[in-house]
Amino acid sequence: MGILDKKLSLRNRSKMLIGVWEDEDQLVAAASELAHAGVHIHDIYTPYPVHGLDRIIGARRSKLARIAFFCAITGLTLMTTMIWYMYVHDWPMNIGNKPVRFTPSWAPVMFEGTVLCTAFGMSFFFFWRNRLVHGIKNEMLDIRQTDDRMIVAIETVSGMDEKSVLSIMKNGGAVEMREFENGVQTVI
Amino acid sequence: MGHGHHQIEVKQEQFVFSPKAKRFSIILMVVGLILTGIGIATMDNHSNSHDSQTVAVASHEAHNDASVHNEEHGTQAAAAHEEEHGNVPNEKFGKRVVFHHLDKPASTRIWANMLIVGYFFLMISLTAVMWYAIQYLANAGWSSAIKRVPEAIMTFIPVAFVILLVALFMGKNEIYHWVHYEHLGLKPGDPGYDAILVGKSGFLNSNMLFIFPTVLVVIWYVLMRKLRSLSVAEDSATKGDATFFRKSIKFSAGFAVLFGFTISVVAWLIIMSVDAHWYSTIFGFYNFVTHWVTMITIMAFIVAYLKKEGYLGIVTNEHMHDLGKFMFAFTVFWAYLWLSQYLLIWYAQIPEEMAYYQIRFEDYKPNFLGNFFMCFCIPFLGLLMRSAKRNRYVLAIIGSIMVIGHYHDVWLMVTPGVFGTGMTFGFMEIGMLLLVGGIFMWWVFTALTKRGLIAVNHPFLEESVHHDVGV
Repeated sequence: MGILDKKLSLRNRSKMLIGVWEDEDQLVAAASELAHAGVHIHDIYTPYPVHGLDRIIGARRSKLARIAFFCAITGLTLMTTMIWYMYVHDWPMNIGNKPVRFTPSWAPVMFEGTVLCTAFGMSFFFFWRNRLVHGIKNEMLDIRQTDDRMIVAIETVSGMDEKSVLSIMKNGGAVEMREFENGVQTVI
Repeated sequence: MGHGHHQIEVKQEQFVFSPKAKRFSIILMVVGLILTGIGIATMDNHSNSHDSQTVAVASHEAHNDASVHNEEHGTQAAAAHEEEHGNVPNEKFGKRVVFHHLDKPASTRIWANMLIVGYFFLMISLTAVMWYAIQYLANAGWSSAIKRVPEAIMTFIPVAFVILLVALFMGKNEIYHWVHYEHLGLKPGDPGYDAILVGKSGFLNSNMLFIFPTVLVVIWYVLMRKLRSLSVAEDSATKGDATFFRKSIKFSAGFAVLFGFTISVVAWLIIMSVDAHWYSTIFGFYNFVTHWVTMITIMAFIVAYLKKEGYLGIVTNEHMHDLGKFMFAFTVFWAYLWLSQYLLIWYAQIPEEMAYYQIRFEDYKPNFLGNFFMCFCIPFLGLLMRSAKRNRYVLAIIGSIMVIGHYHDVWLMVTPGVFGTGMTFGFMEIGMLLLVGGIFMWWVFTALTKRGLIAVNHPFLEESVHHDVGV
């Protein structure tokens, strides 16, 4: 189990069941079966986007769009203030005898500033949320999820029939199953 | 999703042009006709009477030399004329161009409106072909479920072109001052001799006005018919036969290249030449985008209607969402081009370029700003949210504003150039839009009934069935 990093931990999760899949179609079928059985799937980690999984596990909509909106508003305000301060308040300039008030020439600056802030803001929050920002500890359950394996993490709640869950996973094509407890993974 | 899937069977559907829809289309035509009638009846037959109210006396020198010139050749002639005298049309520099209401026969307004509405719907049907071609060229899968809708819209080319031709034929002398100028036969040195119009006469002449668009529309029409026939032939082919698909890609490529290069020239010839002294290189592209976004809106309307009537079972909210995204995206793109054209002219402050915007900004201010609101501000804010793009009713309301806004945009490109100051976007303009809109609806819905609603043998149909933009 050299590839498996046992030190990786997901805080706040004391106990989970982990299934590893190789085939995406089997994964989708098994995930939907698990969801139908009332199992709460914490998350599924795949090396590339798999269509339909978000709906199966009932994923909520990403907040990235809202973040983008607020970044855009910030950028717009920032740039409008900046150009107003520079061009109207602090040092009015006569360029081609154009008025210094709000003019069409502000539009490109405002637009570019909005786009810049949105792009940087979204990238930052995206990386931060995915724990890819330098300094944030990465919490990967299995390093192979970045390569060719798909990892399903199931939350164990009291009263859950673990055996039936494991059998659904096994029959659904899981190539490997593990139990995750207090940051330690043991193969079942 | 790969090999785990079964081949799905999509059932063919047959659209029926319901009596209710027919009634709606007739109501559109009748209301349009009535409004046009009201517009004609209340039209000012002596448009000269406007002059005393709306127009200050032109600056002195301009008036002396250019008063005849002015009335004959339009406002831009005056602008160019002022420029020759070294008058920069800006208050700060002294002299400015004063625009008149030009004395034109009352019928000119009818022909100008026919020109606008004919051009508007011609461009909509042409951009539908372009949309269709792009789907093939981009190997787009998601849109194959709705591809019969642009296929129906594109059949409107001949009708719109006939309307346009009638308007050109009847109104060319009044609409285009260079056609009028052509008849004067002036020589260098004559009073009123216009070097700019003479320089452009190789392109802007009344033979070119008819021959060039006609030749192009015929070529585009033939390609459109070819694409349509390939599409219907595919329906009866054996499952998995990609011959028609491959052929469609070839014809799409031909159309896209030809159309992409020539559409600008047609926009220059028919619309931009209304202000023949003025030019803008982005104008053709700007025109294309105006109609492109309108066409997508109309397509969304038709898809939403078909969905509501229970057709297009495989089309989901995901497809509507993508159409909404297109409407939103090209709204922003329209604004980008709108500003690009305006900003450079505003900054450069070259008199003959300014003239186009000066009259629109000063004498048509509510229209000029309202145009930007209808075509950009309202759709941008209205369609920004995801839930708005997935809501049929929001799309219908915002889309209606967009269609009227872009029609009004074309109106604003033409009217000040033809009539000078003092025109309003009134009954006749709205009436013409509704009238031809009703005919358009009848024509397109009839075209929809001519073949199955779903391209059952399209190679990417299954991809479209599974289309999902995620949560």
